[in-house]
Amino acid sequence: MPAVLGFEGSANKIGVGVVRDGAVLANPRRTYVTPPGTGFLPGDTARHHRAVILDLLQEALTEAGLTSQDIDCIAYTKGIAGRLTIEEHTWSLARSEWPAALCYHHYTTTPAPPFTSLTFPSSVFPSVCRILTPISIPLGPGMGAPLVSVAVVARTVAQLWNKPLLGVNHCIGHIEMGRLITGATSPTVLYVSGGNTQVIAYSEHRYRIFGETIDIAVGNCLDRFARVLKISNDPSPGYNIEQMAKRGKKLVELPYTVKGMDVSFSGILSFIEDVAQRMLATGECTPEDLCFSLQETVFAMLVEITERAMAHCGSQEALIVGGVGCNLRLQEMMETMCQERGARLFATDERFCIDNGAMIAQAGWEMFRAGHRTPLSDSGITQRFRTDEVEVTWRD
Amino acid sequence: MQAADADAGGPAGGADNSLEGRGQGGCGGLCSAGTEAAVAGAAPRVPRPQHAPGPGGDALSTAGRPETRVHIFALGVPFPSHLEAEIACASLAPDREPHGGIVEKQLTVTDSVLAIRWRAENSRLLRISIINFLDQLSLVIRTMQRFGPPVSR
Repeated sequence: MPAVLGFEGSANKIGVGVVRDGAVLANPRRTYVTPPGTGFLPGDTARHHRAVILDLLQEALTEAGLTSQDIDCIAYTKGIAGRLTIEEHTWSLARSEWPAALCYHHYTTTPAPPFTSLTFPSSVFPSVCRILTPISIPLGPGMGAPLVSVAVVARTVAQLWNKPLLGVNHCIGHIEMGRLITGATSPTVLYVSGGNTQVIAYSEHRYRIFGETIDIAVGNCLDRFARVLKISNDPSPGYNIEQMAKRGKKLVELPYTVKGMDVSFSGILSFIEDVAQRMLATGECTPEDLCFSLQETVFAMLVEITERAMAHCGSQEALIVGGVGCNLRLQEMMETMCQERGARLFATDERFCIDNGAMIAQAGWEMFRAGHRTPLSDSGITQRFRTDEVEVTWRD
Repeated sequence: MQAADADAGGPAGGADNSLEGRGQGGCGGLCSAGTEAAVAGAAPRVPRPQHAPGPGGDALSTAGRPETRVHIFALGVPFPSHLEAEIACASLAPDREPHGGIVEKQLTVTDSVLAIRWRAENSRLLRISIINFLDQLSLVIRTMQRFGPPVSR
């Protein structure tokens, strides 16, 4: 009956959670909220986390009714996902042993490679046409200073209490908590947050990435748009956009950028930032209309790539995780798609879709029971920790 | 336990403009107590290298561009026990410095003193690294004060 303590603080939320045998015993959390029109910076975020983390730890233990000696393992966020170079993309696909019917094109002006075999226009057939786009590795995601601040506390208490340490992949934390809370058996997962946008499915001991953003995360797009309109960041910019969108009446046409299995948001962001200046000045539309239009466009894109992955896998379950998963409009649109396919949609509430400590504890609990350990010397945080790098030995 | 942030200069630290060889014994996650005395010792002062004046300038203004000098900063942090110094070392050592290898730092433990030695050519990044380290060190110490002492092994 192991009890696992989990620490999470990779973005502006800091949480400490306790999980034992599928029960969440405690999950306190604090959010670092910045003024409207601003985003959160790594140094300030880390400062916020350092100021509250020890209180949170005490709260978690008290709420769980446990002492330090009752804890069996300390889990913490070692890193969150990053984006691939084109070579790694190809290798990752090869590793996932997809059927040979998949084909690859360079999605630019370069001519298609000569080995092109069968082509399935993605709009006509449910089979997949994976399009690779030449991209380079960005310097993130994951903010170093907040990640380190949380990791040093995890390492310190692990040593003080003489308990094993486990470095957890943030995305896998989301997935494992989603599975625990909803009971979904083997869903296609849409992981959408401020830092990540990926479509993931489990296959042969890996959480395989079927599709993802080729530039910024959908939550990042929403958050940065909120800054342009000076929308409040309390409780979160995404929540406030959602409320404003409910009052939107006019659909402003925005670029729709699905690229095969992947999506792109930076173009939409520049477009809408530009449009906002113009249209609000002339009164052509209201900020509520823009919020509504942005949501409808980006969420439709997410539904499309999720559906494509579900069709490929023959999956009857979809699970939304990550902060953007709290959005009820997104859930509504996904539900419509799932019903059309005869599939079931699973989602969690804001306690678990927003970053929290218990999700790290839950993933840690699975890993601990499967025998994973992270030696101190290997416990450094990393800003490139792909979801499919972890060997998921705790599932068949 | 002395608060490290109050005693940041500690028994040692000093900036030194001379070129020095690499310090010994990194902390690779599990710190071993070293016997070297170099831990907190101030490096010997050497005279600044003289430079010939450039066209229209005097010796002082062209006394080497700051970016090409190597800066060394050494810090010693005392702990109540050897074990606690080792715990702090193992908590602070694993995370790599950002920006590739522009700033190098090494952690070692000798008796109950945690010694950190920085080496960098870029003084601005060095300063940032030291400040960030002190913030994380302060957090480690507060954690140990609040959730310690270490259980007996």
